[in-house]
Amino acid sequence: MVFVIRRVLQSVIVVLVMSLVVFVGVHLVGDPVHILINDDMTKEEVERFVRKLGLDRPMHEQYLHFLANAARGDLGNSFVHNEPALKLIVERMPATLELAFAAFLLAIVVGIPLGMYAGLKPESPGSRAIMAGSILGFSLPTFWVGLMLIMVFAVMLGWLPSTGRGEFGTWDGLRHLALPALNLALFKMALVTRLARAGTREAALQDYVKFARAKGLSPSRVVLVHVLKNILVPVVTVLGLELGGLIAFSVVTETVFAWPGMGKLLIDSIQRLDRPVIVAYLVITVLMFVVINLVVDLLYAALDPRVRLREMKA
Amino acid sequence: MSARVESLPVAQQKPETPLRRLASEFFASRVAAAAFFSFCFIVFLALFAPWLAPQNPYDLASVTVMDARLAPGERGSAGFVMWLGADGAGRDMWSAILYGLRISLGVGVASGIIALAVGTAIGLAAAYRGGWIDALIMRIVDLQLSFPAILVALILVAILGRGADKVMIALILVQWAYYARTVRGSALVERRKEYIEAAQCLALPGSRIVFRHLLPNCLAPMIVVGTLQTAHAISLEATLSFLGVGLPLTEPSLGLLIANGFEYMLSGKYWISFYPGLALLATIMSINLVGDRLRDVLNPRLER
Repeated sequence: MVFVIRRVLQSVIVVLVMSLVVFVGVHLVGDPVHILINDDMTKEEVERFVRKLGLDRPMHEQYLHFLANAARGDLGNSFVHNEPALKLIVERMPATLELAFAAFLLAIVVGIPLGMYAGLKPESPGSRAIMAGSILGFSLPTFWVGLMLIMVFAVMLGWLPSTGRGEFGTWDGLRHLALPALNLALFKMALVTRLARAGTREAALQDYVKFARAKGLSPSRVVLVHVLKNILVPVVTVLGLELGGLIAFSVVTETVFAWPGMGKLLIDSIQRLDRPVIVAYLVITVLMFVVINLVVDLLYAALDPRVRLREMKA
Repeated sequence: MSARVESLPVAQQKPETPLRRLASEFFASRVAAAAFFSFCFIVFLALFAPWLAPQNPYDLASVTVMDARLAPGERGSAGFVMWLGADGAGRDMWSAILYGLRISLGVGVASGIIALAVGTAIGLAAAYRGGWIDALIMRIVDLQLSFPAILVALILVAILGRGADKVMIALILVQWAYYARTVRGSALVERRKEYIEAAQCLALPGSRIVFRHLLPNCLAPMIVVGTLQTAHAISLEATLSFLGVGLPLTEPSLGLLIANGFEYMLSGKYWISFYPGLALLATIMSINLVGDRLRDVLNPRLER
């Protein structure tokens, strides 16, 4: 319990620090007044405007004001859409989550079998090809792969739509999802393949696997039950931490495939200097990250008592 | 094996220096050797772009809209064959790629070197001073590394704004933490060794101990991280530029070239995006392969 409280407290501190960084960054480096006013405003109008936004007050007061508003879910209105920034982000969140989870599943379903095969037969040509492919997966720039996927599957072959999002859960929705999900999954697929390979090579030498073989269990049972079960824990832990990375990287994929998610909104907002939306996106993403990290940490501690004990000593 | 070495004439046996041993082990892998030479070739292309390119793609006098979107292999109006086609403004893609490589490599390598210097200084300070300075620095590093690099870079670009200098600052701020963590890790191991103790007993000044004794012994992991981080920085810059929040249009890096070709993709004019991407891939891949090999060669645990 002490461990849980400690971790939750740490997370709260991280959120506060990040909010301070984002706030100071956005409000000090760029002058918000300069962006908000237009040139034909008179001096009095500008002053009234500054007072209305509270920009004439000292920095720490402004920050506390921002925190209090943020706690009530008010992160300001978008300059461009003239709607609450938070609402804009939350509206687009399901699209991003759909994409991220599809990519997550794809990475596991493809990566684990490939990695296990490469781990069980490390010298075979197939395994060498898989490992070379994983280096390629790490090196390929995501956005370029996205373009190439569009070129091959949408333009040349005409099998799949290149942009936009269909209705969730329908055949059309799946067709729209296929290319972006594959694009986003590619990097994590390479990662899962490498993790699964390393785990399999290690597990294959363990006594319980040798014992299972000696018992006369069929090779498929040894691999699917004894090896797979034991590599799942490290793979899933790492992937859990990578889920946040998927959400962050979806910015790129969403831009390429015009997928109407949070990431595309962020890029549009950066280009139009729509600061409230930028801040809202960052606040939401940081929160998501901290929660994901917290959950993975707690799960990990629940699964592995050594982690808990080490933290207690520290 | 040893008998054959002994039978060689003495004159042919060059003294074994660390660098020579590193090189011979490195080039034992054919893939790594190929990657190293392809990287050298790319650097050569980037350095001598103005002399190698058939056209200065940003000199308005030598580019005509007449050549716009010429397919690869067609002859442009200036008389030379555009083997990789032309983009929407009639620029020869091969020339544009050579100039783009210059910018991409320049930004990636320069930000990598500055981040290396900054990260090393901070990491060494943390390891050598210890105490609350160490704790504070490592908390910041942990905080930053718990977020993916692309997100940190986007936050920084959103805050700083657009421009080559801003992108460089963002790349440096993204990367320094990796170097600081690596250097601190190996410096903590090294500083407990006898030679540091001996240097301290000689009452050498702290700066001399850190820079002449501690730093050279932390170099191996830094070289590996530095190589892989440079590839990462190039990829990150390309991504930011592609998203339209990185380098301005006046500094057309590979990422911007790819973004420019995006609109022509749907009408089947693939070459405007395809070839710059290939150049980017070749750059990143060769650096990654060199880095992987360096890690294997420099890792003492794998020594055979």
